[in-house]
Amino acid sequence: MNQRPQVSAAAGPSRLDSEPWYLPLADEVEVFEAAYHARLPVLLKGPTGCGKTRFVEHMAWRLYRAAETHRRAIAAPLITVACHEDLSATDLVGRYLLSGDATVWQDGPLTRAVRGGAICYLDEVVEARKDTTVVIHSLTDHRRVLPVEKTGELLDAHPDFLLVMSYNPGYQSVVKDLKPSTRQRFVSLEFDYPGVAVEAAIIAHESGVDAALAERLARIGEKVRHLREHGFEDGVSTRLLVYAGQLAAGGIAPRRACEAAIARAVTDDAEVQRAVADIVDVLLP
Amino acid sequence: MKSSPGGPAESARVDFSDVQRVLALFAQGIAGAPLHLKPFAHPAAGGRAGRIFTDGGSIHLPEAMAHFDSRAHNRGAYRVALLHQIGYLRCGTFTFSLAEAARRMALPAARPAAASAPHVLRLAQAHRVPDLERFFDLGARPAWLRRVFVTLEDLRIDTLLRRRYPGARADLERALAHALVGRRPVDARRPAAALLEALVRYSLGAKAAVLQAADASGRVTQILAQAAAVERPGATVYDSAHAALAIYDLLEAAARRARPPGATAPPAAPAGAADLPAPAGLQEQGGGTPDEQRDGPAEPADGDCEGPGVDFRGELLPGLVHRNLGGGAPGVALEGLDTAALQAWVGEPPDAAVGAGAGGDRVPGAHRARAEGPRSFLYDEWDYRRQAYVAAWCRLYEQRLRGHDFGFIEQVRRRHAQLAQQVKRQFGRIRAEAWQRTHHASDGDELGLDAMIEAVIDRRAGHASDEHLYVRRDRARRDVAAAFLVDMSASTDFPVPDPADARDDAAQPADHDPFLWGRMGGPVDLPSPGRRRRVIDVAKESLALMCDALRTLGDAHAVYGFSGEGRDNVEFHVARDFGDAYSARAWAALAAMEPKRSTRMGPAIRHAAAKLARQPEAVKVLMVVSDGYPQDSDYGPDRRDEEYGIQDTARALREAADAGISTFCVTIDPAGHDYLQRMCERDRYMVIDDVAALPGALTKIYRALTA
Repeated sequence: MNQRPQVSAAAGPSRLDSEPWYLPLADEVEVFEAAYHARLPVLLKGPTGCGKTRFVEHMAWRLYRAAETHRRAIAAPLITVACHEDLSATDLVGRYLLSGDATVWQDGPLTRAVRGGAICYLDEVVEARKDTTVVIHSLTDHRRVLPVEKTGELLDAHPDFLLVMSYNPGYQSVVKDLKPSTRQRFVSLEFDYPGVAVEAAIIAHESGVDAALAERLARIGEKVRHLREHGFEDGVSTRLLVYAGQLAAGGIAPRRACEAAIARAVTDDAEVQRAVADIVDVLLP
Repeated sequence: MKSSPGGPAESARVDFSDVQRVLALFAQGIAGAPLHLKPFAHPAAGGRAGRIFTDGGSIHLPEAMAHFDSRAHNRGAYRVALLHQIGYLRCGTFTFSLAEAARRMALPAARPAAASAPHVLRLAQAHRVPDLERFFDLGARPAWLRRVFVTLEDLRIDTLLRRRYPGARADLERALAHALVGRRPVDARRPAAALLEALVRYSLGAKAAVLQAADASGRVTQILAQAAAVERPGATVYDSAHAALAIYDLLEAAARRARPPGATAPPAAPAGAADLPAPAGLQEQGGGTPDEQRDGPAEPADGDCEGPGVDFRGELLPGLVHRNLGGGAPGVALEGLDTAALQAWVGEPPDAAVGAGAGGDRVPGAHRARAEGPRSFLYDEWDYRRQAYVAAWCRLYEQRLRGHDFGFIEQVRRRHAQLAQQVKRQFGRIRAEAWQRTHHASDGDELGLDAMIEAVIDRRAGHASDEHLYVRRDRARRDVAAAFLVDMSASTDFPVPDPADARDDAAQPADHDPFLWGRMGGPVDLPSPGRRRRVIDVAKESLALMCDALRTLGDAHAVYGFSGEGRDNVEFHVARDFGDAYSARAWAALAAMEPKRSTRMGPAIRHAAAKLARQPEAVKVLMVVSDGYPQDSDYGPDRRDEEYGIQDTARALREAADAGISTFCVTIDPAGHDYLQRMCERDRYMVIDDVAALPGALTKIYRALTA
């Protein structure tokens, strides 16, 4: 269909040789650029699958690849860490490994970004263990240092380094919420699912379906999101709508594609699935 | 809407109760706000028999659909009926404004009663006469204008539905064709009625050519030309109003021609009657119309244009909607209606969502604006006699408790200082066990010295070395969510039983308080005789102590109370929800738990379980604190038979267990054993005959359940 750029795996660097496609919803590109130039850490808030990760990839490409700057020399401009509940500060900073008869220090993804001047993107940061906040705090104020306790180092961040985190305020926010002391260190950009016209453009671009079907899929997204409180807080993500489009573009009948990518994906409640299928059914031609 | 004898097969019939939840979700998705779906009241009950309608917050649908030969088609008919009603709400029908209409078109000179002079406007607003009704009054025969307008609105909305919901077209055409076949011929001596019938048939899909061929007057062509205006993309309610006025004039002209010379004009209808109009077509299909009994067939009457309505389109009741949405009548909130949200979308510019353009985008986050009011939920109930669930039988209203006793928690802490310490110490022991070091982990914070030495030795010796070299320090996080469900029935108003009687100890003062005295070893502040402590007081104080201790432990917890009266009004009071802060307000809400009415336990347990199930924690605990067996005015067919309630409660507890929730019932009732045995599993209940034991019991049970 189109060239989806090679995106980093968990804790993997991304070379970003081609431009990741991103359709701005408002002024987020300008705000992010301004924040980067002042080296202010950025927090991206928004529901799952609304384009946060793609936005960061796009911005990294813009800042490190689009223009002729010294930053083009940085091989891995974006280091993404998918946070999970067992992710500790050690996982971010680094640890000793046993090699032969000696122990060898191995930098973690955050340390690599701090040394190399990359953007470090901590995805779904509230999932990580609480001890990660210690390293985040010292990097996000005027000090811009990373204390590496085990080696006794106090690393000054590379001038081009930036910390970006994302979190989803709706998801499990009761138990896992960002502390104000952490939140208030970041410039916050709020994301939500785009309106029908923009979402249709995204679906058409990403999946390759025609504009009419893309518009119908976006309309389905809009209606299904009205059921957010019934077992799926986030509603249906743009990502899922794109999946439905990709299945349809691959020759699956649109209703079946929506059933697999939307109705069955958003909930396990059979009756909610049925209602979603009904919405799909009346909206598709 | 019943199938006629010899009609479609019974097996194709779709019952409302079977599809209610799916339809309600469907309607919410389409409309963007929750709508309550209700089955028709039985005609004998005096409701609006047999007609689909919306009052703005709910949509009334037939209790069964059996027009067609397959279940899929009958389901489709439900869907079309819903879409049509949502169309009224969503596409601007009820936001019709007379002032806006006057701006867009030349309105006929108002009759005195309907004059739109400013003071009359104000008067009309004061009396809450919706603009649509005042618009109908602009015709000398309001009933005619109403019928014409409603038919045009139906045509406009069905046209919109075809465009917006192409997947519903087949169902829509089927419903229209069914309605068209059911139309009966109109008496040719009533020309206005015949013309209106032609319009209705056109709106149902009859071919224009056929209608024109059957028309001798030539007016049908003119009428259909007017009607075409509402079929255009982007047509609004004002196009319907404009066309309605033009067609109305044509009907009047036709009636005048047919009227014998010298007949007088019809008397004007009383204007005030417009508030709550009689439905336009009360008759079921095939029923006679009242004007058939009138004499003088050529005399035009208001009833001339009354004919059978179209079943699936139902009827348009601006008065009801206006009352619910515009007037903010009390009782609306009780229907669970999200007035603010609904108003927000009813108030949208009409047809904002037509087409795919950017103009159709909704304002992000607009749907999140919701009014604070009780939310209502429907729950099934278990009928043990039939061994089946009664679908959507109980309506439960969830409400937040608000209290003003801001000193409550301090009092409890002071009163029960020693007990509070005990509870906290018990829970503190749980917490101490929570940290653990794992050696020989494959991954961890630091290398383990022992493991490294072993690995080096292994390597030197030429063996394969173990790769599990790390030490990790894990906090075995407590992953517990607990909900306490407290009986707030009237019986909890009873004073705490006085053990002095049992001990036959005459030395005890009359209002001796075992909870207070027994634990504290001395009087702290003697309750005044006027404020004897009741069962509910002990319960909420125990829960306050629990919450205080759980806060230290870090377990997610919630406190709910329940009561109510009848299946349509189960009250669910949220004293403290998961994630609430520990503010003075939160404690005051707990203090606000007071005795209310009955004890319908089933739906309350189902609701609490549903809330628990949404919690992310792995261990979920539901503790029910009650003071007697479940009972309610209509909990089962026989009021005196407690078995129905017990069986339903047992079923609800089992459902919770199936959802992975540990349940436990604590009952303060010396005779409790009898029914608790039938209600709960063997080691899932406890009967205490002395309320004083409640806090201690809760703590022990909690430890056991969550360990």
